[in-house]
Amino acid sequence: MRQVAADTLTLLRRELLRYRRDRAYWVGQLVFPLAIIGIAGFGLRNVDWVQGAGYSGGLASGILVLVVGSGAIGGGFSLIEDRDSGFLRALLVAPVSRTSIVLGKLGARIVVSVALVVLLVLPLTLLTPIRLPHPGAALVALVGVSAFFVALGIALATQLRRLESFRTFAALITIPLYLVSGILYPLENLPVFLRMAAYANPMTYGADLFRWGLLGVHELPVGLSVALLTGLSALCVVVAVALFERGART
Amino acid sequence: MPREMDDAPALELRGLTKRYGDVTALDGLDLRVERGAFFGLLGPNGAGKSTTIGVCTTLVRPSSGHAFLLGQDVVEDPAVARAAVGLVFQEPSIDPELTPGETLEFTARLHHLAAPRRRAGELLDAVGLSGEAHRPARTLSGGQRRRLEIARGLLHRPYVLFLDEPTVGLDPAARAAIWEHLRELPREGRTTVCLTTHSMEEADALCERLAIIDRGRLVVEGAPDVLKAALGGDVVYFTLERAEGAAAKLRAAPGVRGIADRGGGRIRVTVEAGPRHLAGLVEAVAAHGIVEVDMRRPTLEEVFLHHTGHVFEAEK
Repeated sequence: MRQVAADTLTLLRRELLRYRRDRAYWVGQLVFPLAIIGIAGFGLRNVDWVQGAGYSGGLASGILVLVVGSGAIGGGFSLIEDRDSGFLRALLVAPVSRTSIVLGKLGARIVVSVALVVLLVLPLTLLTPIRLPHPGAALVALVGVSAFFVALGIALATQLRRLESFRTFAALITIPLYLVSGILYPLENLPVFLRMAAYANPMTYGADLFRWGLLGVHELPVGLSVALLTGLSALCVVVAVALFERGART
Repeated sequence: MPREMDDAPALELRGLTKRYGDVTALDGLDLRVERGAFFGLLGPNGAGKSTTIGVCTTLVRPSSGHAFLLGQDVVEDPAVARAAVGLVFQEPSIDPELTPGETLEFTARLHHLAAPRRRAGELLDAVGLSGEAHRPARTLSGGQRRRLEIARGLLHRPYVLFLDEPTVGLDPAARAAIWEHLRELPREGRTTVCLTTHSMEEADALCERLAIIDRGRLVVEGAPDVLKAALGGDVVYFTLERAEGAAAKLRAAPGVRGIADRGGGRIRVTVEAGPRHLAGLVEAVAAHGIVEVDMRRPTLEEVFLHHTGHVFEAEK
């Protein structure tokens, strides 16, 4: 157990070093959401979200979750990169568990996402009603969404060999997940069958919890969101580790 | 680290077999590598060298037979085997974004070594990369990258260091530098080195002992000098316009040990003390129209040909 934790930390540091060196990544990740929220926020100024939070607040919260999620699926992307560079091969002969490799990627994603959200929330308090009344809930949402998407990315990476196919499949899977998660519109606007799909989607609970953290509004019971998000995400991580264990052998 | 069994060889293979579908990569390979040896596994492409390393490092599961590292079966105890070996892959396997210093330090941490940074520094020195410690690996030359991988393989003071084609794809200067470093590796008194190569020259230059393998089987094993000496002399190739009857004349010439008619007017003569007897050989076949004479000191290529009956195809 302690060894897994120590290895996870080592691998996490390596991932963070890579993120830190990639300046373009940070510029893109910071400019993209601000641009969307800035532009669309004006266009949708008078459109209302649930419970009077205003569309700009709801949209901003949704976009941030999207940034966290699409960043996290990059955990799988980086696994393919590691395979292409051959680095993964070297890791697999070292006495390192696959669990540490997955958790290292997850940990690094959480750190990067927290940094991104902190950097983005500050300017957003000027543009939107975001006031971050429940930072703890926002953090739980961020960790849960990260875990879900890192797991999804890694599971996908174990099945696909090429970066191109990974990109295509990642979009194919994530876009519907975003659309039925209530990040762009309230769930109550959806027909019943789509709402059912939304309830099976961990992203739904993450998005709602995040909105509670950022804006103080929510559609679903907070306790339920915490329980389902952490439960489903943890399950996905376990499945991803299992797939990785199996796929990593030659 | 495995329990040290003093009498067990570093590596022992018994009837090692690996089949991939219809393809037999290893066909009952037997081999013994003593502790502390600088051992070479020489063979043409597809001979089964990489598969052998794969089995020894737990990456490949054998179809049958056994591989023992320090007396312990690698299939039964893969974790122990993994901790006991260092491996330098044929293909690149470093993170291009990390610097050599970081690469070694992280690996040292993953092996739970004490003082990872200091250990990384020691090995950067050992492979002559101290000056490049702070550049991302993607900016290093091919030879420097390979040296970094070698350093990484030695980091945890493995009992056996496997090097899979350590100089493949490098230019001659980089290759020479690698050889230099390999000869002076900090083996710390016990590391057995086992490298694979399809380069006869490399095997000859580096290895104290060699196993030549072909089609998944052991052809011959021994010290390079002994293997070459066992051929019984130098080899002279004649290309003649009219080869009929020439073989008999050559056989009768002084110093000749063996003749092989290779067809197309080409005759291979094994002769003791070649430089002294060459004139006699030339005289013996002068009437047959000599197109070409080529005398070679015995090389591993000759050893391979002698034992397998076919030429060594390094590249396909």
